[in-house]
Amino acid sequence: MRTGRPLSREAVIGLSLAGAYLLFAAVFWAYPFFWLARLSVTQWRFFDEPVFTGARNFLRTVRDPQFLLSLWNVVRFLLFYLPIAVAGALTVAFGLRHVGRGKAFVALCFLLSNVSSGVAMALVFTKIFSTTGPLNALVFDWVGVRIPWTNDPTLAMLAIALVVAWKFVGYYGLILYSGLLAVPRDIYDAARLDHAGPLTRLVRITLPLLNAQLMMVLVFAILVSFGLFTEPFLITGGGPADGTATPQMLIYETAFRRLQPSHAATMSILVSAVSYALIAAARRLFERKVVLA
Amino acid sequence: MTAGRGLGGWAATIGIYALALTWLYPFAWMVAASLKPTAQVYTTALFQGDWTLDNFRFLFATADTLDRPFLQAMGISALVTFSVTASVLLSSAFIAFALARLRFPGAKLFGDFLLLQMVIPTTMFILPLFVLVKQLGLLNSLAALILPSLMSGWGIYMMSQSFKAMPEEYFDAARLDRAGLWRTVTAVVAPLNKSIIAIVALFTFTGTWDNFLWPLIAISDTDRMPLAVLLATFSKQYGGYAGPVMAGAVLQTLPLVTLFVLFRRQFLQGMSLTLK
Repeated sequence: MRTGRPLSREAVIGLSLAGAYLLFAAVFWAYPFFWLARLSVTQWRFFDEPVFTGARNFLRTVRDPQFLLSLWNVVRFLLFYLPIAVAGALTVAFGLRHVGRGKAFVALCFLLSNVSSGVAMALVFTKIFSTTGPLNALVFDWVGVRIPWTNDPTLAMLAIALVVAWKFVGYYGLILYSGLLAVPRDIYDAARLDHAGPLTRLVRITLPLLNAQLMMVLVFAILVSFGLFTEPFLITGGGPADGTATPQMLIYETAFRRLQPSHAATMSILVSAVSYALIAAARRLFERKVVLA
Repeated sequence: MTAGRGLGGWAATIGIYALALTWLYPFAWMVAASLKPTAQVYTTALFQGDWTLDNFRFLFATADTLDRPFLQAMGISALVTFSVTASVLLSSAFIAFALARLRFPGAKLFGDFLLLQMVIPTTMFILPLFVLVKQLGLLNSLAALILPSLMSGWGIYMMSQSFKAMPEEYFDAARLDRAGLWRTVTAVVAPLNKSIIAIVALFTFTGTWDNFLWPLIAISDTDRMPLAVLLATFSKQYGGYAGPVMAGAVLQTLPLVTLFVLFRRQFLQGMSLTLK
């Protein structure tokens, strides 16, 4: 660039501010990154010198039944979570468009769960879902049975999905609502002239026009599902029978309880790779370029 | 659009309000349970029971003998959260200003680097960060909770997006006034970008106060734990004390809910900014 010429005052200030962050990132981002890569190709137990083992960690991890189960649990979680969260978010978005004055109040009610404490709420839901808890009291009054939420792998996963959906529906709803605002009104008038019913209007007009926002929600949901830790750790402890053990829980257990950091590092690299692959696949399958002609 | 909706429209309005209030039920149940004797937590209706502050008294007075210093944990959480939030806001504002408004070689590359950092999940870094903090000899110290979060690439990026949208005239005026870097950022940029600063502040505060996995790994002594971790270990060991556990949950939630209610306007404005 401007070789030979001294830098302007503006450039010096800019460079030193950016440099301050780069220095921070070198210590707390790049150096850990280097260690992660190093751990994945060595055998190490926190105290000794790392010994190079090549691809052995990878070969061991991809055949580890517990690791594969934890990835499968992410899929099971998504099967519950996606329909609940997307349906809930659409309800919030249409609800926000429907109510007039109280819009801010409704939005804040749904968003409070998103900004409040995940730890505290996980403890609250442990009580709410317990056999003697308020949810079971309600169900017992209606149908006369109690649901053993945490004794059955499928029910436990459903419970986790409900808690996480409770937390994120407001945020996803706001994303979809911002998309709804951009949909021109006259499109619906034209559809009504063509005698399109409400369901047809939803499936043929609204949802396709919300594609960008729905994709954003889908990507966020996938990222959330691979990052799950606090809720299963505190509500189910990963059980029953590892039915809610998530990759993050397994990485934590492997690194800090079983003291196998090399194995855990390999897992976290593979988990990130799988989440990218899933996001790429989802975009390929569902992303559309929507053009209003 | 609100006029002339008929009966179905009103039913939908009532339905959405009812659903919105249902969303608050876990908070109501938590507060109610924290104010009842443990024996009544599951046996009484939401607003019934013998109201008492005993659970909170138990947490602050008796829990010390169970090796659970809650008051101290709140102090640690507050100290860590305020340090991190202040540092992130200050550093983000200045670095974002540089990125958005100053011409320097490599500025575009710097922006790309921030984007790259944002797409790499932070959970991946927990284990190697532990190795680093261990090498620095900082395990089990407050520095382990504060230092790794002093700056935020996300905060810089979000603020710079907002700063870029400011009209150049403001900066012409600042230059005419011979305003330096400090005055330009604090007196010109910050007041005009309150929403995005509020969003970064709120998310940084919430994320730090409620951070669980990292302090769970980095801190092992109960008298150095932040509230989130101390509460979780307390619940694990003394889960039967439903009343005190819920009182602890209220303490953990209260600062976040208070901030959210205080800054609700800026929050909603800022959210619509981030969604563009």
